[in-house]
Amino acid sequence: MEQFQPLDQKIQLNKQTNLEIDLLLEAIYRLSGYDFRQYNRSSISRRIFNRMRINSIPTISRVQEKAVHDKEFLEQLLNDFSINVTEMFRNPSFFKAFREKVIPILREYQEIRIWHAGCATGEEVYSMAILLQEEGLIDKAAIYATDMNEQVLKKAKKGAFPIHKMQAYTKNYMLAGGTHAFSEYYKTDYQYAYFHPTLLKNIIFAQHNLVTDQSFNEFHVVLCRNVLIYFSPKLQSQVHHLFYESLSDKGFLCLGDKETLRFEEVISKYREIVGNERIYQKND
Amino acid sequence: MLNKLKLGIRSKITLGYIVIILCLLASVVILNNQITSLQKERNFIIKYDSNVKTLTNDIEKYILDMESSQRAFIITGEPSYLEPYENADENWKIDFNELYQQMKDKTSQQEKLKEIEETIEHWIETTGKPTIQYKKDNNTEALTEFFKVDNGRQDMEKMRKLFDSFRATENAYTQVKASQLDKQNSQLTSGLFGILIFVSVIAIVIASGISRSIVKTITEVTQTIQEMAATKGDFKRRIHVNTNDEINELADATNILLESVEKREWLQTNIADIVTKYQGISAITKLAETFLSEMAQKTQASLGAFYVREEAEDQVLFVKKAAFADGDDRVGMESFKIGQGLIGQCALEKRVLIYDNIPQDYRLIRTGLGEVRPQHILLIPVIFENEVIAIVELATMAKFNALQQELLKQVTETFGLTVNGVLGRMEIVRLLNESRAMTEELQVQSEELQTQSEELQMQTEELTMINEQLEERTKEAESKSRELEKAKQELEESAEQLILNSNYKSEFLANMSHELRTPLNSILILSEMLAENSHNHLTDEETEFAKVIHSSGEDLLALINDILDLSKVEAGKLDIMFNEVNVSEVPIQIEQTFAPVAKKKNIDLRITKADNVVDVFYTDEKRFQQILKNLLSNALKFTEHGSVTLTIQQLAQQQLTNNMQEISVDWLEITVSDTGIGIPKDKHQLIFESFQQADGATVRKYGGTGLGLSICKEFSKLLGGWITLQSEEGQGSSFTLTIPSLPNGVEENHCDKLAMKEIAVTTEEETHKEEPSQKIEKVLQHEVEVFQGKNILIVDDDNRNIYALKTALETRGMNILVAKDGLECLEVLQAHHEIDLVLMDIMMPNMDGYEAMTIIRQQMKRADLPIIALTAKAMKNDRDKSLQAGASDYISKPLNLDQLISVLRVWLVSKGS
Repeated sequence: MEQFQPLDQKIQLNKQTNLEIDLLLEAIYRLSGYDFRQYNRSSISRRIFNRMRINSIPTISRVQEKAVHDKEFLEQLLNDFSINVTEMFRNPSFFKAFREKVIPILREYQEIRIWHAGCATGEEVYSMAILLQEEGLIDKAAIYATDMNEQVLKKAKKGAFPIHKMQAYTKNYMLAGGTHAFSEYYKTDYQYAYFHPTLLKNIIFAQHNLVTDQSFNEFHVVLCRNVLIYFSPKLQSQVHHLFYESLSDKGFLCLGDKETLRFEEVISKYREIVGNERIYQKND
Repeated sequence: MLNKLKLGIRSKITLGYIVIILCLLASVVILNNQITSLQKERNFIIKYDSNVKTLTNDIEKYILDMESSQRAFIITGEPSYLEPYENADENWKIDFNELYQQMKDKTSQQEKLKEIEETIEHWIETTGKPTIQYKKDNNTEALTEFFKVDNGRQDMEKMRKLFDSFRATENAYTQVKASQLDKQNSQLTSGLFGILIFVSVIAIVIASGISRSIVKTITEVTQTIQEMAATKGDFKRRIHVNTNDEINELADATNILLESVEKREWLQTNIADIVTKYQGISAITKLAETFLSEMAQKTQASLGAFYVREEAEDQVLFVKKAAFADGDDRVGMESFKIGQGLIGQCALEKRVLIYDNIPQDYRLIRTGLGEVRPQHILLIPVIFENEVIAIVELATMAKFNALQQELLKQVTETFGLTVNGVLGRMEIVRLLNESRAMTEELQVQSEELQTQSEELQMQTEELTMINEQLEERTKEAESKSRELEKAKQELEESAEQLILNSNYKSEFLANMSHELRTPLNSILILSEMLAENSHNHLTDEETEFAKVIHSSGEDLLALINDILDLSKVEAGKLDIMFNEVNVSEVPIQIEQTFAPVAKKKNIDLRITKADNVVDVFYTDEKRFQQILKNLLSNALKFTEHGSVTLTIQQLAQQQLTNNMQEISVDWLEITVSDTGIGIPKDKHQLIFESFQQADGATVRKYGGTGLGLSICKEFSKLLGGWITLQSEEGQGSSFTLTIPSLPNGVEENHCDKLAMKEIAVTTEEETHKEEPSQKIEKVLQHEVEVFQGKNILIVDDDNRNIYALKTALETRGMNILVAKDGLECLEVLQAHHEIDLVLMDIMMPNMDGYEAMTIIRQQMKRADLPIIALTAKAMKNDRDKSLQAGASDYISKPLNLDQLISVLRVWLVSKGS
């Protein structure tokens, strides 16, 4: 398959800007070890421009300068780059499909290892834990929730989500086929809903960078939803390779609803279980 | 040799029949001959037999005629009777000769005939003639005489006998002949059968020979064809026929057919093969490579290139996508235009071009060992919809044979479709990919947007807060500006005084250090002497007074020293020693020090110590004491009448903020309150500053340095605590010292910050009345905000439930309305639009929860009203039905209050906040 660049990028970024971004990303990589060099350029550039607007920085090179000399700014920039949009039971139909099509298969296993790659603030990890608990599988499951951003992992560990989002989450939970009352899983104060710590029992939060780190176990399920969209096609392929290697035979790969394996080389090694929900099963 | 001879099936069959007919003819001729000879024989035998018999009979008759004639003549004498005799005599000999002639090959019979002749002649000579003569002579006697003997009779007898014997012999002979004939006849019959068999055998042999030769080849052909059919298209086999007949021709024709089939098969197999090879290929380069390598393999081509039409910038170019056996980049053309060179010509003419007169300097086919010039070059256009979309160039060291050319032609004919398909697919993939990228991009952007909107929201909130603060500040600024105005005026006044003050200060300090020490020294010394009471003329009380004077003097001296130290304190140079302090002793010391003064001023001095105060407290005793003394002396000084109260108490655990807890668990709160003149609010801060009193009038009235409180403030800071003031003008003041027990001394920064914060809080106490624990306060405040004044409708038919819920929710500030069933619920909702949330039981009389919810959602169009269904123990059915009816959330009974409160928070919190 011939690689190509998104149209958008060709138009928007001239050579100079691209060079500046290259240099900035290189600097960030050297300084922090976070590798955004293969990320989707258009997104990265928008984040940079956003930061430039907020901090009134005229050029990307200045951003680089500031990033090199100002540690706090670098942190800020890293935070900018990691977009942590997530919800509980995001795309409820996915969780419903997972419950209906994948859980019956997982039920047969002695143990279930799930890798939640790019878990951000953990909403989906808790969702999965709730789902597994309702299906009676939580005790033999181990959910490895990873993200490259340690800040969000800290948040994820707390399991405290803004209370004003809970109405939407409740709706999602119900649409996802939740069998209990959603309120059984949390307590609230005036600003957060705190999820029950027992849900955390089998969740392992760890820092892992999909770009630079290797696989660390063999998993029955790999969830990586709406993460790869930030990557360049090449990086996407690389990560897909990583996922393939990390999956056990007949393991499941779950992607976000805007993502697909269709153009990936690895598609031949998977079969679609629920195509619309982007649930794929690895062939033997 | 014979095989070479063309011998058709017709000839073979004709020949066979001719042979058989000839055989039949021969046998018929032979038979005919046989039958004829047999016939002859029989005829001969019959004729002979009858002839012999006739002759014999004739002879006999003649003889008998002669005898009877002789006799008749003799008797009658009539000469006419002699006529037969003479006739017979003349004729018998003829017959006899004839008979004799007949018997010429039978000597025995001839002898018999001779004998018969002799006998007859004898008779004639001896009987006939004489007798006749006798008669004629009328010689009767002789006659009689003769007849007396009658020799003739004997002869006759003998002749008869001889004839009988002759006849018998002849009969026997005929018999033999007949039996011979019979034998021959039967031989003929068997010969006939023999011939029949022989001819039959020959006919069968020939028939089988011919048929075998025909059938054999046919079978061979059939077998070969069947075998080919059985192997399903093994067209490599050929039919071999040894005969040289029509079958051979058939075989040859079939072989030709097979050859063409084989070629077609080869073509088709290869085409299919190639077509299969490029199935599933979705990249043109890969397709071109596959195509070239396949074609090269099939046609033994040694060099190949594949050009694909590309339109770029109004120009049609054919760009090389693949090359075969062209390792390095020695390629002639990377691309060419239509009409450019032979290859361009090929694109222009849309037909296959073949070249076999390759010039000497043409590019070479390179092998591992050397280079060879191609012999044959093919340029094939790939046409799709009458347009050349690609060109294939192939070169070979040998020649492309017709079949290979045909293959190339046929493959390229359909290849256009494939190329177009792949190009189309590539385009589709490219577009799909692009659309995927765009979808992803969209998702990314939407997520970014979400993030940004969240950021924006936060920023907006921040802005709002900043705005609010700004407003506040503006107000403050306004008041401040007014104050400033005032202060400016005051400043101008004080500026004038400043010089005076400054002078006063230096003078004061000078007095302190020099003037005051001198009288103080004498006081100290004298009071000490007095206290010693060496002459024993002082009463005990007087001695005690002297001691007080002395100790006060010492305190004073210390104070003076400390005043000097104040600058050190401000410079951070004062050393603080944390030691054990026995708190229980503090009241006694205070009493001792201040009771006389109080007594003198007629002021009630009350000292109380709470029971919970720890005995051992770690702080700097000297500074601690000094603070207390300063505060007390201040209080006593500014109090004309009434009381001064010292209260020592320990702060309870719950009163401590987290920050305070971090520092120490034991905190003392010492309050010195008086009923004195009080301090106006605007001076509260001021009085802690050095050299300040509330106003000049006070100074004049009460004197004093104005240092006391600033020293207290500084010292309390040094001890890790702080001093707060509550006072109203004319209503007395209350100073509160709050200090921690610090066994390990003070961590300066921490305590400093804390002190600052706490003071800041406490100085604003009047307006905010905040508890020390800010967080708890805030939480409560929000809690109140979430629930306060919210209108909750409880729909339940069970009074106990209603009561329990009502009580629980009302204590949190919610207003509760109650409906006993679905109908009532609808009524209440109609009447009260302000309801924020509905708690809906499911099982109710009149109208159940499902129905009520459905009506609320669908008929009343209250889509956003949060309705929380209270379902019986989480039955999935209940749950689904609730959701279907439109419940926002559900809780299963029995209700857990915590859970209910959590849910209420979720549904009462405004989504945007």
